[in-house]
Amino acid sequence: MKKQDKPFAFRGKYLLVAVLVLYGIFFLVNSGGALSALQKSSTILTKILPIFVVVILFTATLNYFIKPKQIAKHLGQKSGMKGWFWALAAGVISHGPMYAWYPLLDDLRSHGMKDEYIVVFFASRAIKIPLLPIMIDYFGLTFTIVISLYMLFGALIQGLCMQLATIKDT
Amino acid sequence: MTKPHTQKKQQNSPPQQPSFLKVLQKSSLSFLAMAPLLLATIGLVGIFQILVTPKMLASLFQGDPLFDTLLGTLTGAIAVGNPIVSYLIGGELLNQGISLYAVSAFLLSWITLGFTQLPAEVEVFGGRFTLYRNILAFIFAMITAVLTTITVQVLS
Repeated sequence: MKKQDKPFAFRGKYLLVAVLVLYGIFFLVNSGGALSALQKSSTILTKILPIFVVVILFTATLNYFIKPKQIAKHLGQKSGMKGWFWALAAGVISHGPMYAWYPLLDDLRSHGMKDEYIVVFFASRAIKIPLLPIMIDYFGLTFTIVISLYMLFGALIQGLCMQLATIKDT
Repeated sequence: MTKPHTQKKQQNSPPQQPSFLKVLQKSSLSFLAMAPLLLATIGLVGIFQILVTPKMLASLFQGDPLFDTLLGTLTGAIAVGNPIVSYLIGGELLNQGISLYAVSAFLLSWITLGFTQLPAEVEVFGGRFTLYRNILAFIFAMITAVLTTITVQVLS
């Protein structure tokens, strides 16, 4: 049987309404602060728009070239060591805020990506390759190397803990 | 009328590959479906950046390594912004004599934890996943901070 596409529906409508209400209250209490917050949000949105474009293009390219079966093979139940490696590498390479990657991960998860790999992806994002020189400048080379190595190991262990929790729950 | 064997042949043939444009359209639509969620999160980040200032966060630290490590993890989770800002605050905290345990925990939780994105994370990945992931990230931020500080002290 052909898999039916999910009908289009906005997600987080109520959250958006709640945030708008929050802005309304903030505006009544401190209009200057509310305007500054709005300005900050607009700046963030402008900055991460290119990342959103990259995420959309990346999702489309993945869906075009890689079939759901292949995604499940590389990141699903029987992916083995490869899955851990891909999740770790993707997390380290990924750029921008965590929530910018939610749509792509949601898509991969619907195709069979395991939860432990999502945990590894998020945890390994703590390593920011473009920012390493700044980290070295502020905290020194030893600190940067040590914390980066522990973050990588930590990300894998967190993934394993998530795997154990998933097994225990099922 | 189509002959039965032709029908069978059609059924067995592999499904046609949709064009890239169609796939791109589908991906854009799924992203658009998440737009309210992402906009709400960005809106929350804006409010937090105004209400929770770096100065305010820095003033909370007491100088007790254990308490400060816990506080570093918590404040890093509350704070929002570019990781470079966390380096700036972290460097300032170190200059003020705050322990490396606390600063490391602060740097780690700044990126891996985030109170402002919790509602969006629950909506996308579900409550159970969000709870487990955030508990793990919280615990590991502290463990990594302690191990990093001890290792750096030993090495230097």
